[in-house]
Amino acid sequence: MTIIRLFAASAVMAGLAMASSAPTTAQEREIKLSGFGAMSGVVRSFGVNSKAALEAAADEINKAGGVKLGDGAKGKIVIEYFDDRCNAEEGISVTRRIASSPALVGIGPTCSNVAEPLFGILQKKAGDAGDSGLQFPIFTDVAIKGGLAQISEWAFRNVPNEGAMYASLFQWLKKTRPELKSLFGGVEEDFAHSRATWYAVMKEVAGKEGFEIKGEAKWLLADTNFTNQAREARRAAADIVAISAHPFTTCGMLKEMARQGVKPKLVIGLTSSSSLETLQGCAGEAEAIIIPTSFAPVTPEAQAAANNAAKFNGSLDLHSGAAYEIVAILKNVIESEGVLAKPDTVQADREKIRKGLAKLTETKGLMGVSKRTPDREAVKPFLFVHAKAGKWEVLHNPMN
Amino acid sequence: MLLVDLVQSIVDGLLFGATYALIGIGFTLVFGVMHKINMAYAAASIGGAYAALRIITLIAGPAWASLLIAALAGGLFGLLIYWLCFRFIPLSNSLATLMSTVGMFLLAEEIIVHATDGMPQNFPVVVRGILDIGEFMIRGDLVFVFVCALLAMVVLLYLLYRTKLGMATRAVSQQPIAAQLVGIRLSHINALTFIVTGMLGGFAGALIGSAVGLLSPLLVVPLTIKGLIVTVIGGLGSIPGAIIAGLLVGMAENVFQYFRGVTERDIYVMLLLFVFLVFRPGGIFSSTARRD
Repeated sequence: MTIIRLFAASAVMAGLAMASSAPTTAQEREIKLSGFGAMSGVVRSFGVNSKAALEAAADEINKAGGVKLGDGAKGKIVIEYFDDRCNAEEGISVTRRIASSPALVGIGPTCSNVAEPLFGILQKKAGDAGDSGLQFPIFTDVAIKGGLAQISEWAFRNVPNEGAMYASLFQWLKKTRPELKSLFGGVEEDFAHSRATWYAVMKEVAGKEGFEIKGEAKWLLADTNFTNQAREARRAAADIVAISAHPFTTCGMLKEMARQGVKPKLVIGLTSSSSLETLQGCAGEAEAIIIPTSFAPVTPEAQAAANNAAKFNGSLDLHSGAAYEIVAILKNVIESEGVLAKPDTVQADREKIRKGLAKLTETKGLMGVSKRTPDREAVKPFLFVHAKAGKWEVLHNPMN
Repeated sequence: MLLVDLVQSIVDGLLFGATYALIGIGFTLVFGVMHKINMAYAAASIGGAYAALRIITLIAGPAWASLLIAALAGGLFGLLIYWLCFRFIPLSNSLATLMSTVGMFLLAEEIIVHATDGMPQNFPVVVRGILDIGEFMIRGDLVFVFVCALLAMVVLLYLLYRTKLGMATRAVSQQPIAAQLVGIRLSHINALTFIVTGMLGGFAGALIGSAVGLLSPLLVVPLTIKGLIVTVIGGLGSIPGAIIAGLLVGMAENVFQYFRGVTERDIYVMLLLFVFLVFRPGGIFSSTARRD
């Protein structure tokens, strides 16, 4: 009797094991992509929007049948998202954690002050046996400070090229608004992106285009009092005031300029401020501000992507739009490079993806075709938007 | 032109310093009564302003209503902080209450971040207008904040020195055991102190929101630091000291920024604090009365 019971129990267990293993083999494989960025702290909105964009793009691909893997099997994209709090140490810690998981690629981070040291822990030159750096591809959607992907061959970026954008903007202004001759700058000194954009981009390209630089006012990210800075702008009496700052202080400066009656003929903003945040903070004072951006829902693809992201409680802008595009780019690379997405091929798959990304010379994005440079950066299509009645509207499309 | 700019910087700084003074009063009042630092004070004050903004947006209320609603919300948050961070924590352990309020500060900040995704929110302007005096400009809203700080000082001093509640509060501050022996309920007075300072904080938060024109979680840390500096420079527990120190810090910030630039500004403000700590550790108005 005992033997019969033992046999019956074994049969039941074997049956259960078979039943549970049967769906696994029939299941499509998981292609894990790990996003990371600021989900807490004052730049939380960037992380929220990137996460929504990644999930929306993955959902769209999965609904359309998934990703074709190297052995003919189908894979579904699975997104997970981690918070790095816009902090370099936490960004590095999160990346190490992601790299020790089956994730094939890391997508992030939000902040340039995280990206810069983070890229430093990656293997500098791929295949260098003497370099024990992390061999894990990172594809950046938001951190925009120029030239960061040069740090490692495992680093790739899909961020707009601000040098090209502002050069085009000042050329266009010179041509269409010849009455504008001079420029005064306002810069958020303690943020890597805004600082680099004023000193290395806006000031440089405006000077090259013949605009007279009449000075600059500086402030810090958490400043609330802009009386001195607005007075400097008033004294300079420049035709253009260019503000290289994030929405909180951009709004603070614009409000103080309004109080003091500083009325330049034109205000130019930082790419990252072409977002909902600026309009929530100071739609009235930001009226007519011009900002170059690499995203606006002006194409059917961009409009559809914006609608999809909204379903995942996110808003698509130049940063989260880049995250959306990254998932589509990765799908194509995974298919073209024959990635297998098996538990025992994780490192080999990462290497294939790295090589595949490095080979790209152009990618299809939401706004059109983006060029890929040899140093793993993107040259994305862009346009100029301006704030009008509480909305961002396209002012000019230099690609036309 | 240099002199005009310098004088304008001093005036702007003094007026903006009124916002620091209001926050400093809250810190100093709690310290004066309980001899404890409430690190969550500025966070709760900004929280009160956020609550007011949410409510007046919902009911489409007038801008001035934000001041009243923020004061009420601030009072509620003050009571909540007292209950969570002080009521059940042994007051004899200074570090315990300090850390509990630091925890509350971080929690309050993160709640604001999650509720708003960290996005700056436009705050309605309560008082508009600029007074032009020749080359000089004086902001009407900052004058209003300045007057409010003076009024707050008068009301609080009246409350402390001319009412039974004030007498009980001073008794608890100076001789808590004796105060209990004559029937004063310690927890009751402490809770009331938190409600009153919370109301003042909420009111201050809304005034700051109006003066800046925005609310953002970015306001919380600088206001906490400025509030503490003002409390130390003014003299722990001194309300007039907090006001004078608030104006002094605001002015010093602007003048240092004018002469040395924004990147060095805070270094000099901290140096000012150290000068006080070394040469006048009791602050401008050090209180003489001491707790048991």
